[in-house]
Amino acid sequence: MVSLSADARCGSALITNTRSCGNDAFVLELQLSAPIGELRAGRFAMLSPENGAGPVIPRPISIYDYDGGIKISFLIQILGRGTRVLAALRPGHKVSITVPLGNGFPETIFNREAVAVAGGVGCAPFLTWLRQREAQSKNTHMIYGARSADRLYELDAFQQAPGRLVCATDDGSLGFVGNAVQAVQTEIAEGRISSDAVFLACGPAPLLHGFAAWAREQKVEAYLSLETYMGCGIGVCNACPTPSSESGAFSDWPWVKTCIQGPVFRLSDIRF
Amino acid sequence: MLNTRIGSLELSSPLLTASGTFGHDPSALAFLKPGDLGALVLKTVTLEPRHGNPTPRMCEFTGGVMNSIGLENRGLEHFQQVVAPDFSGLAMPVIGNAGGHAVDDYVAMVGAMHEMPCIQAIEVNLSCPNVAGGSLPFATDPDAIQRVMQACREATDKPLWAKLSPNVTRMAPLALACESSGADAITVGNTVLGLAVDWRTRKPALGAGFGGMSGPAIRPIAMRMVYEAVQAVNIPVIACGGAQSADDILDFTVVGAAAVQIGTAVFRRPDAFSIIAAELRQILHQASTTLDELRGSLEWPGRVS
Repeated sequence: MVSLSADARCGSALITNTRSCGNDAFVLELQLSAPIGELRAGRFAMLSPENGAGPVIPRPISIYDYDGGIKISFLIQILGRGTRVLAALRPGHKVSITVPLGNGFPETIFNREAVAVAGGVGCAPFLTWLRQREAQSKNTHMIYGARSADRLYELDAFQQAPGRLVCATDDGSLGFVGNAVQAVQTEIAEGRISSDAVFLACGPAPLLHGFAAWAREQKVEAYLSLETYMGCGIGVCNACPTPSSESGAFSDWPWVKTCIQGPVFRLSDIRF
Repeated sequence: MLNTRIGSLELSSPLLTASGTFGHDPSALAFLKPGDLGALVLKTVTLEPRHGNPTPRMCEFTGGVMNSIGLENRGLEHFQQVVAPDFSGLAMPVIGNAGGHAVDDYVAMVGAMHEMPCIQAIEVNLSCPNVAGGSLPFATDPDAIQRVMQACREATDKPLWAKLSPNVTRMAPLALACESSGADAITVGNTVLGLAVDWRTRKPALGAGFGGMSGPAIRPIAMRMVYEAVQAVNIPVIACGGAQSADDILDFTVVGAAAVQIGTAVFRRPDAFSIIAAELRQILHQASTTLDELRGSLEWPGRVS
């Protein structure tokens, strides 16, 4: 049976810093009460204000940066009630946090050429991923797309990270003109990325759907980091399922739990 | 200090999981300190596997959430072979929860749980639609409750709890039907039926249409239902609906609840049982009182002439 990962902890964390990114996002830096150990990139936390404000349920947020000790940060786009109350918190306030959750990006692909395909705030899990692939930086690419340059959050950090960065904007305000999937296609067509690489995507639903359609058509090896509406994040509420594919690893049941069986799925394992 | 009794069942705490909010996986118990959770009520199991409802399965409103999970579970056989063995040897009682669409379904479920050594008591989920009764939930009809509970009573001598629904007009006749059928305790209640829509898409917010409301917003409804049930019967009443804090637990206790189930609060803090148990010990100590002293001590206002 699928179980909650054994390293998950819950408790409260102190906000040490908040800084805004562009017009609609921010980085929330926290001090944990204890270290959570080595973390694979792509895992997430459930966050809510400890003072009880905001929605009844917490929000699943991708881990942006973790120092291996008690310092952890999250890059959060303000999209609704839950993220708005998190954005209103200030240093000295506390959050309730359950972390680390989910499975993260596959480690088995480490020696292979790998491409991160990020849309907007979907870049968040890839900073850690790029750093963890430092020894493979020549084999590592990140295609970072957004509507416009001001939504390429934390661009400095991604420019400084290992690997090759390609930016794309829908309005052409920076880098390639078009979305991240179109940029990937151009990179392959022009020989800078091999279609034998492994592709990992994270971003808004339209980008992921475009990515999935392209990956299926081109038969490339692809993984998606999904976001669904989650009640608990720890596998107990059954509110966040993603349909499983009939031929994939989860074919014994029509659903997979996005929280504890994901949020990263091999494309061929899910119906998306 | 928090020791609680529900009939013959001795618990280390009055705090229980609400069925369906702690799944079928004991690993989330790792968030809790021993003794803080009095009993683990498992998610409803049905005879046959149920794939559950289409997504979205959860949405929010001020003060709560709505869900329409649709009793997703892998059925009795999987429960017997895969789920139940994980729960043997726990330090707290484990309560199975049985669902069904006909009396025979319930009897088969209760009979099977009777044979499972890891199950110490059985809660019967009467909110399931009664296929032979126009698909209205069993919990809305005293006769249907009696048929189910009498048949279940014959299938087990383990403690048998009836879980009622708040989606009714009066609780007393339904609680009495449980008591007269031999139930050992009554759980009051369940989620409150609601509807959320999105005018932009002109569709319900949930994939199945209607949903069940839970969270702090429904607590006054649960409080009233618990009060009515406590007034009507002599068997223990277990409160369920919107409890989030030690004060909420004590409010239910004063109304007469033997114990309290907690569900939605766990989503925000998986260690909610430990937080609330610590708060309860502190409050009881500071107020120099006990759960037993408070239980059923509600003073109803007298008539003003």
